[in-house]
Amino acid sequence: MALSKLPLTLISQTEVTHLIRELAGLEDNAIAATVSAKNVPSITKLLAEVAVANGLDINDKTNRQTLKAQLTELQKSAPLIHISFASEPSQLVLEKIIAWLRTNIHAQLLLQVGLEPGIAAGCVLRTPNHVFDMSLRPYLEKQKSYLQRLIQGAIGG
Amino acid sequence: MNTGGIILVVGSLLGATSAFIWLALKLSRASTVPPRTLSSQPKPTDTIASLAKEDVEHIFNNEFREELRNRGRLHFEKIIGENAMFLQQDLRETTTQLNEYMRAEITRTLQEEFKKYQQSITDAKQLAIDSIEKTITTIEQQRQLLETQMQTQAEAQKAELLARFEKAMASIINHYVVQAIGSQIDISDQLEFILAELENNKQAIIEDIRRGT
Repeated sequence: MALSKLPLTLISQTEVTHLIRELAGLEDNAIAATVSAKNVPSITKLLAEVAVANGLDINDKTNRQTLKAQLTELQKSAPLIHISFASEPSQLVLEKIIAWLRTNIHAQLLLQVGLEPGIAAGCVLRTPNHVFDMSLRPYLEKQKSYLQRLIQGAIGG
Repeated sequence: MNTGGIILVVGSLLGATSAFIWLALKLSRASTVPPRTLSSQPKPTDTIASLAKEDVEHIFNNEFREELRNRGRLHFEKIIGENAMFLQQDLRETTTQLNEYMRAEITRTLQEEFKKYQQSITDAKQLAIDSIEKTITTIEQQRQLLETQMQTQAEAQKAELLARFEKAMASIINHYVVQAIGSQIDISDQLEFILAELENNKQAIIEDIRRGT
């Protein structure tokens, strides 16, 4: 079973992979700590937020294993959407977009963010079978006839 | 001079010739008639008769005959000369008339030929003029057709160029706008637009996600 709640900071599949790797590292460190009496290393903010959001204590081995399994399941089964912007989006923007997507589309949706400078403004969304061009480019294309009329008017005097 | 005139001239020449021959024959016959003898007349005596006979023979002897013959010959030659002169004159006149006739005929024939030649030249000239006029008409028609075609082509080309220019211009302006504002608009400012677009495509995205999963 995948995670029931995903924090808004967990956006991409890459981050899920990082969390899984981090959890694996934690497990290794925990084993090493029991042998050499060392402290368990600190965890990343993202992992902490995921654990909190799902009510799991990361210091507990069972919880860690559960979380790892859920993250692995999430990596396999979560719907993935590719979204491109003209420039690098801020984290806040991404969080707002992922919040809308998880509220309206799918609760476990993950994003793969890309760059496409040619779109000028807006974004291009690629679902598994479709491309949604929500940029300025199609808007300008739609206005092409109006622009042509303006040019004709300018030529015709 | 016509054919009747020629026949008349030739007839007159033949008449003059036949008259001349008749006269010559008559004169020669007159010279051959025996002279009247004195024997037919009553003779007082034989001596006288013989003397007379002798005298007659003396008068009409060979010399006298020769003289008469000479005189006749001279007369004949004179008549022949006169007739020859007339004949020469007639011949000269005839020759002159013939020359005039020939000249007139040749002139007339030449004039007719010249007239025909002139007519042929006129006809050829008219044909050439007609041909040139037809050529000019055809050239004018071709020119007008060509002008129309060129105008049509020019208009079409102009319209095509204009359409291409408008299309290219629109693409250029679009590209320019995209390039100009692409890095100038903050995505945070676009968030409202992006969320609105997501809202517009919400149902399609859900359906595609469901289909994908």
